[in-house]
Order: sequence, then C-alpha cells, then structure tokens
Amino acid sequence: MTSIINILVNGLILGGIYALTSVGLSMQYGVARIFNIAHGEFIMVGAFITWMLYTSFGINPLLCLVVAGPVLFILGFIVHRYLFKTLKDKTPVPTAFEGNSMLLAFGILFIIQSLGIYLWGTQIKGYSFMAYSIYLGGIRFSANRMLILFFAVFLCVLFYLFLTRTRPGKAIRAAAQDPEAASLMGVDINKMLALCFALGAMMAGFAGVLLSMAYQLQTNMGLPYTIIAIIVVVLGGLGSIPGSMLGGFILGIIGSIVNTIDPGLTLAAYYLLFMILLLVRPSGILGR
Amino acid sequence: MLEVNTLNVSYGNVQVLWDVCLKVDEGEIVALVGANGAGKTTLLNAIAGLVKPASGSVTFLGEDITGYSSNAIVERGIAYLPEGGRLFPDMSVLENLEMGAYLKNSWNKRNERLEKVYEIFPLLKERRKQLAKTLSGGERQMLAMGRSLMSGPKLGMFDELSYGMAPKLVMEAFKMLETLRDNGITVFLIEQNVKQSLEIADRAYVLENGEIVSGGSCNALLESDHVRKAYLGL
Repeated sequence: MTSIINILVNGLILGGIYALTSVGLSMQYGVARIFNIAHGEFIMVGAFITWMLYTSFGINPLLCLVVAGPVLFILGFIVHRYLFKTLKDKTPVPTAFEGNSMLLAFGILFIIQSLGIYLWGTQIKGYSFMAYSIYLGGIRFSANRMLILFFAVFLCVLFYLFLTRTRPGKAIRAAAQDPEAASLMGVDINKMLALCFALGAMMAGFAGVLLSMAYQLQTNMGLPYTIIAIIVVVLGGLGSIPGSMLGGFILGIIGSIVNTIDPGLTLAAYYLLFMILLLVRPSGILGR
Repeated sequence: MLEVNTLNVSYGNVQVLWDVCLKVDEGEIVALVGANGAGKTTLLNAIAGLVKPASGSVTFLGEDITGYSSNAIVERGIAYLPEGGRLFPDMSVLENLEMGAYLKNSWNKRNERLEKVYEIFPLLKERRKQLAKTLSGGERQMLAMGRSLMSGPKLGMFDELSYGMAPKLVMEAFKMLETLRDNGITVFLIEQNVKQSLEIADRAYVLENGEIVSGGSCNALLESDHVRKAYLGL
C-alpha cells in the first residue's frame, strides 16, 4: 500500500514537471506554429541560473522563480523578435514556416547548449535544498519533491487562469483559433506571437528552477526534456493547454511505475506510448 | 465617411481590382453587389487592412488609412464581419463578444456594450456560456454581428451576411442591418443576393470583374436594364 502511494506521488511530482515543461511548448506550437526543439534549453538555463544563484550566493531556489522567470521571458522575447519573426517575414507560406522554424530552433538549441557548456562545463551539477523527509499519515515523502509538486500545480493553474480569464490570455487563444479574425478584433498578431513565445520560455524556465531542487543537472539535459514535452503535447492534443497538463501527469505516473520495474526502461516506455498514440489516436486525448 | 479612390489590388501578377472608386456617407446603408469572383471580398479585405493595395487610397473620416494594419483600422472605428462570420469556435459566446471589445478603449466599456448587444440579440444572452461551435447557422451569424458591435464601430462592413442561410433568416439578417443603422452605425455590405440587398440599401454599387460598372440609388439600379438582366433575371 505504502509503495503504491509512493509510486503515485513520485508520478505526480514527475508529472508536475512534465506538465510545466509542456504547456509552454504546446502554446508556442498552437499559436505561433513554431515547433520549438530548443524548448529544453530554456529549461536548462532556468535550472543553471538557480544552481548558480544558490551555490554562489546562497539565494533561496524559490526566490529564483522570480529571477529566472523574467530572464527567460526576455530571452524568449528576443529570440522570437530577432529570429522567428524575421524568419516568418521571409517565409510567407505557413507550412514552409513550420518546417524552417524547426530547423532554426535546432540551431538555437546548439547555440544555447554550447554557451551553457562554456559557462557551466559538462559535469553533473546539483545542490541539496530541503533534503529532508516529511511524514504524512505515516508515509515518508521528501520535502523538496513535495514543494516541486505544489509549485508545478500552482504555476500550471496560474497559467491556465491567465489564458482563460485575462484580456491578453483570451487574445492568445483567439489568435490560436483564427489569427486573421483575431487581428480584425484589433489584436496585434506580431505582438501576441512574441508574447506567446516569451511566455513559453518563461514556463520552461520555471520548470528548470523547480527540477533543479531535486534532480541532477547537466548542460545537455535539455533535449531529453524537449522530447518528453513533445510526447506530452501529442498525448494531450496539439495546442490544447489542459490536454498538456493532463498528459504531463499521465506520463509522469507511467514513468514512475516503469521506474520501479527498471529505470532504464522509462524512456523506452515513453516512446512506445508515443508510437501507439500516433498510430491509434494522433489527435491526442483532448485534441480536436 | 469612407472614401475609396482609384484603388488597385493585385495578387501576384493577377490584378483583381481596377481603379475602384466609391464612397459611403454617414448614416447610410450602402451595398456592393456583384457575381462570385468579381472582387467584392478583396475590396473589403483591402479596406480592412488584410490586403495591401498596389495603388490608390482609402480615407476614413478624413484620415488616409491606406496600408494601415488591420488592428489599427479597427481602432479607427471600422468593424469588419468577414464571410462565414469567422467566430472563435472553441470560445464561448460571451468570450467571442469580449474579443470584439478587445481594444483598450472598448475593453473598459465591454459590460455596457454587452448589455446593448444582449438587448438587440436576446438569444445571445441565453447562450452566453455555450461554445460558438455548438451554435446553429443563424445564431452564429447573430453572434458575429454582435461581436462586430462590441468595438463600438462607426462603420460596419458585412461580407455575404446571407451566405448559407435559410431564406427566412436572410430577411431577419437584413432587418438587423436596419437595427444597426438605427443605432447609429453606418452599414456597408457586399452581397451576391442582389435583389434583397438593393431593397434594403439606400445606394449600391455594381462590381464586375474588378471594376465598378454602375452605382447610384437602389431604385434607379432596380430599374436599370443591365442590373435587371444580369442580376435579377428579368
């Protein structure tokens, strides 16, 4: 019984991180039609900013959310403004843009990763923060992981409320459904696309901050997270934000179960699920 | 109010509009009629800023708005209802209406405007929580009209309001245009449904192969041999 609860809780923690990493990617694809292969690099940057601030200056990792968030928002904004926006102006055909944007994102991936290696090296990094156990109903949980779960859910809910309750959030959803009609409502599409991309990078940054509290970091950690995020986004339905959240938790629980059998099989299980999904229900759980 | 001067629009090498001139005065209902493919939608797209004209000008309330972006044009007070309504299918009726008031100035007034739209279309109030994609064809058109009112426009441009609607609903849709005019909104509509639009409008223009071939009061057009032969089958 205890072990089942542990597997579930570990799955939820993993799922929280997966959900957080995927909502941004899902939105970037759903609205801006950018398949951002470099998404995981923004996670890596968020994680290393936190590691640096904590180990060098002793700044509380939770406070790093307020630092890494805006930094990645600005980085995302610049990347969109100077790279993807320029690409979009040069490739007016939407399908060609989707393909070219992926190639461009590949380049960004390598550049950010190389800069990361230059700054932080290639060794595995980590720090210990709230590394003690708490007992709930006689079951032992590690405090930092529970904190991660709490903040992951909190940030996902906040993001969802932003999209459904606020003026810019509604404009983002409208632009995803019909960009031309949205511009007839007075929405500045270019501004909205940049905002979307920047927000996606910010969510990735948040994920990086949180996972650095309990998991090991390495400058090449980005790509595996990108791949997981892609699986989650397809699982939940391309462009569906609630789908990505649900997909994240489903994948996290599957990962946690497989992990108890053999950790080496986790990625294989993800891929297997991904392939079955592509063949059986390519539109995803909540996809249209 | 709206003046279009020698407007030329091309898609690549194909010229679609040739020296189009027309004007719409405040308080009027003006129709632009013509066959499918005559260039009617292109003209509205050019006025609304979705297509950049090759030459010529569009003036609105004395301001040259040629080549402005579509959001800048909405801001000036032109609402454009594109063919088929172009609703946001996965948003609720209420959210679609709110999007109509997206501009900063309108957003603050969205609740009063909402009340006004609900007054004109009470059905929308009942359906406010429903997703737009679950509405019937007539309800969608109603929502699209309501949404275009939310920006508080001075001029409303309507593309094929009657498209795909049952004949009874077409009459209702046209009656709504009169309601709009009574609410202080100037109406510019484009239609394939020549007879009914000439009956409701004050003035009309006839567009053929990208050129304005005639224009004037609707009564005069209804009597003209060319219009009777080409569009009314008389």
